[in-house]
Amino acid sequence: MSELRLSSIETRGVPGKKRYAMVIDLRRCIGCDACMTACKAEFDVPVGVFRTWVPYRVVGTYPNVRKHFMPRLCNHCDDPPCVRACPVGATYKVEDGGFVLQHYDRCIGCKACMASCPYNARFMLPKSRTYTDITSVVDKCTFCHHRVTQGLAPACVVTCIGRARIFGDLNDPASEVSRLVSTLPTQVLRPEEGTKPHVFYIGLDRHNSEFGRAVYSPLEVLEEDRQAFNKNHGA
Amino acid sequence: MGDFNIFHHMPWSSTYSIYFFTIGISAALFFMSTLSWYREEFRPLRASAFYLSFVLLAISGLLLISDLSKPARFLNIMNPAYLNFTSPLAWGGLNLLSFGAVSVAYFFMMRKNDEGTSRKLAVLGSLLALGLPIYTGFDLTVHQNRPVWNTPLMPILFVALSLVSGAAVASFLAGGKSEKLHVMLRRFMLWSAGAVGAMLISLLGTTAYGGSGQELTFMFMTSGALGGIFIGVGILLGTAAPILLLLAPFGRQQGGMMLAALLLLVGGMALRYSILVGGQIVQTYF
Repeated sequence: MSELRLSSIETRGVPGKKRYAMVIDLRRCIGCDACMTACKAEFDVPVGVFRTWVPYRVVGTYPNVRKHFMPRLCNHCDDPPCVRACPVGATYKVEDGGFVLQHYDRCIGCKACMASCPYNARFMLPKSRTYTDITSVVDKCTFCHHRVTQGLAPACVVTCIGRARIFGDLNDPASEVSRLVSTLPTQVLRPEEGTKPHVFYIGLDRHNSEFGRAVYSPLEVLEEDRQAFNKNHGA
Repeated sequence: MGDFNIFHHMPWSSTYSIYFFTIGISAALFFMSTLSWYREEFRPLRASAFYLSFVLLAISGLLLISDLSKPARFLNIMNPAYLNFTSPLAWGGLNLLSFGAVSVAYFFMMRKNDEGTSRKLAVLGSLLALGLPIYTGFDLTVHQNRPVWNTPLMPILFVALSLVSGAAVASFLAGGKSEKLHVMLRRFMLWSAGAVGAMLISLLGTTAYGGSGQELTFMFMTSGALGGIFIGVGILLGTAAPILLLLAPFGRQQGGMMLAALLLLVGGMALRYSILVGGQIVQTYF
């Protein structure tokens, strides 16, 4: 039976096309932030914005507590709302591979893609940068398109010390990501949004990934952190 | 997530809410000018409502362009090779441009006293004007992950807000020129404010009984500073109070109507602002 495809831009099950995905095994993530650093180095990502980031939550009750890390990045959705939302086609999906990429020269900076992304994966680049003239447009993770098309794995995957990030082609049944997704219980973020993400998590607990009451009454120290972050990043 | 080390910002700033406000008034004023061709009581508004509509259209365009991080690239939205028709912004851009073009043509035809063409352009312009609040509503509605925004009510709510704010401005333009116009504008304000009120009750209900994101958004929008703006200024002071005022004998007098109009304008701005910001708060914590 063919797989259900609701959108014409989905690459699910298209013969001869690659469908890259990332599996993140949360049991292996130690929160070293090496992935964030590798990504920053690979793309000269400016201070204050991130293509990938590792938020954490402290779970449990003292003395039995631990930090629960959840690496985040663009989910390279099969049905990306950002592609629908962009008025000038600056955001597009590569059919072979499923990468969701950006035409920097087209982006007008309306931020509709940022508003439409359920994962906060997009950010605005600052007005001036040292090594590139790509400024004041929206940017995001590219799944390291430039590396993957040359047979390399994304920078965050290569650098992950715990092998928590695994990357490959979901349309290839022999790939490690295919095997993991088909044999282990995996979850995606916000499946109810209908975006069909290509980032799968092993060991994801929705109690930790979704909004909690803490959003409404955050701890004072966290609110101070937030204010300091915003102050230093032009919000 | 509950604890944070990375924080996110709201993509759409309050500039957008000012844009929603000005473009809504511009659209409604054009509609009032069109009505003057068909209803004699609106005749005193024909020129003044149109001129103010045009000025507000220009201001709205500038607001929209200045909010882009690449303002010079606003021309991309007119490039047929780039246009993406799955985005309401693309339709909105075309709607704005055609409304502007029709407004310019209407101006020249009115100056030439060409009644037949002016009438046709007025109808065409009104249809395009109706598209403006509808598309701004769709701009918000299409984001399926945003509480408050993602409701079919939004385009209709924006049409009603446009009418109520436009009628309020028109009542200032009309002054004491005509008793019949005075009565019509009072009815416009009363009915459209009533429609806004009914939709807000519905919006609050669906938000309060929604999922976790909606529930938290409801809490943000009904308490604290945003609660003061949304409930206090937007609903109580800017919608309920003017409705009561317009129903009272004082509201039938010119002074009462002016006061109601002022409150409706303040309320209209507060509602647009709180709906825009309210739909973005919770997402910054994800």
